[in-house]
Amino acid sequence: MVMGDIATATDLLVIGAGPGGYVAAIRGAQLGLDTTLVEKDAYGGACLNRGCIPSKAFIHGADVVHDASNAEELGIHADPAVDISQMQQWKSGVVDQLTGGVEKLCKANGVSLLEGTAAFEDEHTARIAHGGEGQGMETVEFEHAIVATGSRPIQIPGFEFADEPVLSSQDLLNMESLPDSLVVVGAGYIGMELSTMLAKLGTDVTVVEMLDDVLPNYESDIQRTIRSRAEDLGIEFHFGEGATGWEESGDGVVVATETEDGEESEYEGEAVLVAVGRQPVTDTLEVESIGLEPDENGFLATDDRARTDIENIFAVGDVAGEPMLAHKASAEGIVAAEVAAGEPSALDQQAIPAAVFTDPEVATVGLTEREADEFGFEPVVGEMPLRASGRALSMGESEGFVRIVADEESGIVLGGQLVGPNASELVAEVALAVEMSATLEDVAGTIHTHPTLAEAVMEAAENAQGQAIHTLNR
Amino acid sequence: MVERTFELPDLGEGIAEGELVSWLVEEGESVVEDQVIAEVETDKALVEIPSPQEGTIAKLHYDEGAIVPVDEVIVTFDVADDGAAGEPAASTPEDESAAASDTDDASTAADPGESAADSTADADSGAAAGEGEAAVPSGRVFAPPSTRKLARELGVDIGAVEGTGPGGRVTDADVEAHAGGVTEGEPDAAESPAGGSDATATAATATTAVENGTAARDRTLAMPATRRLAEELGVDLDAVPASEEREGEPFVTPEDVQRFAEGGAAAAETASEVDASAEPASTSASADSTGGEASEATAAGEGDLADRPGERVPYRGVRRTIGEQMAQSKYTAPHVSHHDEFDATELVELRRELAEIAEEEGVKLTYLPLVVKAVTTALEEFPYLNSSLDEENEEIVLHDEYNIGIAVATDAGLMVPVVKNADQKGLKQLADEIQDLADRARNRKIKPEEMQGGTFTITNIGVIGGEFSSPIINHPEAAIFAMGPIKERPWVVDSEVLARKTMRFSMSVDHRLVDGADAAQFSNRVKELLVEPSRLLLE
Repeated sequence: MVMGDIATATDLLVIGAGPGGYVAAIRGAQLGLDTTLVEKDAYGGACLNRGCIPSKAFIHGADVVHDASNAEELGIHADPAVDISQMQQWKSGVVDQLTGGVEKLCKANGVSLLEGTAAFEDEHTARIAHGGEGQGMETVEFEHAIVATGSRPIQIPGFEFADEPVLSSQDLLNMESLPDSLVVVGAGYIGMELSTMLAKLGTDVTVVEMLDDVLPNYESDIQRTIRSRAEDLGIEFHFGEGATGWEESGDGVVVATETEDGEESEYEGEAVLVAVGRQPVTDTLEVESIGLEPDENGFLATDDRARTDIENIFAVGDVAGEPMLAHKASAEGIVAAEVAAGEPSALDQQAIPAAVFTDPEVATVGLTEREADEFGFEPVVGEMPLRASGRALSMGESEGFVRIVADEESGIVLGGQLVGPNASELVAEVALAVEMSATLEDVAGTIHTHPTLAEAVMEAAENAQGQAIHTLNR
Repeated sequence: MVERTFELPDLGEGIAEGELVSWLVEEGESVVEDQVIAEVETDKALVEIPSPQEGTIAKLHYDEGAIVPVDEVIVTFDVADDGAAGEPAASTPEDESAAASDTDDASTAADPGESAADSTADADSGAAAGEGEAAVPSGRVFAPPSTRKLARELGVDIGAVEGTGPGGRVTDADVEAHAGGVTEGEPDAAESPAGGSDATATAATATTAVENGTAARDRTLAMPATRRLAEELGVDLDAVPASEEREGEPFVTPEDVQRFAEGGAAAAETASEVDASAEPASTSASADSTGGEASEATAAGEGDLADRPGERVPYRGVRRTIGEQMAQSKYTAPHVSHHDEFDATELVELRRELAEIAEEEGVKLTYLPLVVKAVTTALEEFPYLNSSLDEENEEIVLHDEYNIGIAVATDAGLMVPVVKNADQKGLKQLADEIQDLADRARNRKIKPEEMQGGTFTITNIGVIGGEFSSPIINHPEAAIFAMGPIKERPWVVDSEVLARKTMRFSMSVDHRLVDGADAAQFSNRVKELLVEPSRLLLE
């Protein structure tokens, strides 16, 4: 296409083709809106191209290597040879298949795709700058717009991703060879997932975290389980230290840290991974021109219909606030598209599940016991340790638990915390229970397949009722 | 200034909701403590709601005519922030500050990407809410997503809906009922005051009958908690008529089970019996026909009911309470009726004499106090007529007090205020009290507790007309006595037919507690006392 300054009109303009945007675009088109989706580089967004999917592919690879090399107890003795570039290729294949699928789905639903970067001109007009030389500009007039521009990794002072030894999560997932040693700044979920993966593939990992434990904001028994397993994998932790800078040293880097009291330390590695969180992308949008102002954290404020302060402009996903999770983005995208189409949709979900793909996995949904208490409930808690699960033991796993939090009076399930293999899958049942306002009795009264990990959810519900069979009731 | 919310207070024992009849204040108006701000009509009475504090009305949360569950916020006040005004802000799960702080937690988290999994979705901004959109409550709502969607479609603030599902979960039916309550569009039918002859009334009972009918399925969809409830109530789930469908299959809700357990099974099993007594049952002038017609409409389908033309009157408040009470009584207590007649010549004479004297003292003496006196005197000799069945403990409670309910026909329907310890009161006092209770029942100023604790009920159908009736017992009492009119009738005296003033009366007794012979003996004793009412003076 030759791009002059041409104007097109559309009912719904979606900016960004990540899990918030492409879902919104498809739903908008399904509801009969003439829908245009603008994406600057990769369909599927950070999630498919640089985050969730490639990291999970690598984590799977690392698990295969690790499990095979650590199965002596089962009578399996193996020393797998790992070809990282082959693994990289396989990962890219997975990503390509998915992103290609997104593109096809959009087209099949009648979504018009535009490549470029969008910026608002006024409340009904956006300019699309097409990438690459010789490409022009395009103006799109829209009835409704959905901003789904996502987020990018946060840089911290002294650590520029432009410098070669300073890696973002995205850089790491694209490496053709793995470092022998790595300093990781940040023990949040991204730092912990990647550290665990690298340790399993043989990298010596040193983690520096400003706060006092891994996975800040998770409950202490969850932190303890994850930290101790990570230490078993050889990961070295330094808590209460903030990274202040780095220097080249021989083949690698020396990362300098400082405690709150000013105590300094240095850690060596081949490279440094900075994984301290992500920040919303609003800088390319020129939202000021329509009178919108991101808040101090860069988010666009939205109401329970995913609308910004401007009635016909929506924001979904990472750009619309915490939690920055793909499934939250998709849920918001659907609501935004439906509201744009005049449907009575709203963001009234009771809970957003979250998963951390460490070893073992962590997954949570709804309220913790403490939060339930703060909300004014009388929480009752049931737990099933996985060492009492036949399925967990037969998988060679015994660490972790399933915990269910419910309101004592009504028995309604308010939340759950799960630590263990496939916790990310198991949490779905608890999420359904929370969303349905199911009671402990509903969960306990549902027959669960034996032998599965899912039985632990049922058992935890029974435990909360003081009626567990395989655990002592408290 | 700070905001304080005020919930609809407890309106009396067993009362879960009330109709907000009128607001006596407007938004922006200043009120003082104890100022009456609203009138709420409950199943039993009109209740005035006083303001709990001084302040300015910031928001009235319900429209007039709405059905408001107890404990739901009805008013938000702006009050001076001196810490002394009113109660502290509620810390219920619906509380906005709790939700807000949760959101704050999420956004201030050090590594927020993984923290805020628990926060409710974007509860923080209320900007740009469009017209007619149902609010999304900032706190937690116990309702499945499909029900929340229904609420949005119907424009219902789901936070204001009281749930009747397991653990207080809000069901589709709750949302629909709430929507109906608000818009007056509730498709529930009600009977006309005249009784069961017109189409509306027949249709109303048809619902009951269909809902109370018995299904026979091979398998039934229901939540596990519902299955458990059915088991506890001894109900075969496959026999419970389903009010909902899931995936095209009948889906039984806890309410279905409850309804079935309370009445449906009995109705189905005793259909012929009920049918036999399908004349208009009367406990008062406003003929209640709930019991009698239950089976009549079994043939009518639910489908044609919904489509039936005619005026649609919400089945609510007093009308519904009467219906539920009567259905429960009729389905629980096997009624046996007894009818008799006596020569009331002396009663008429005595009443006339006494009324003249009483009038000088400003008391209007009707026949009713004399009948109350005769009945309490007889009850002392027949304690089983003044008893209740405690089914749970399998014990008969022989009451040690004589609290006589007096059925009063009011514009809203039947009410039964209770004269406490009637045996200890003289005729004048009885006359006074009955008059006062009846007046206040008609004015809807009567308190719920004044209609509780009865042990026996008297209804004076005679003031309206008729000869006999088959009154429905005021559950859980053992018997009810219905006075017919006193008028001149042919009466045989010494083998001669003379015109004499006679009264005909009817009784229904709970056959579980009282046999026909006991009822007849009790009736004879009442008759004896009223035929020679001077005997009452000895009591």
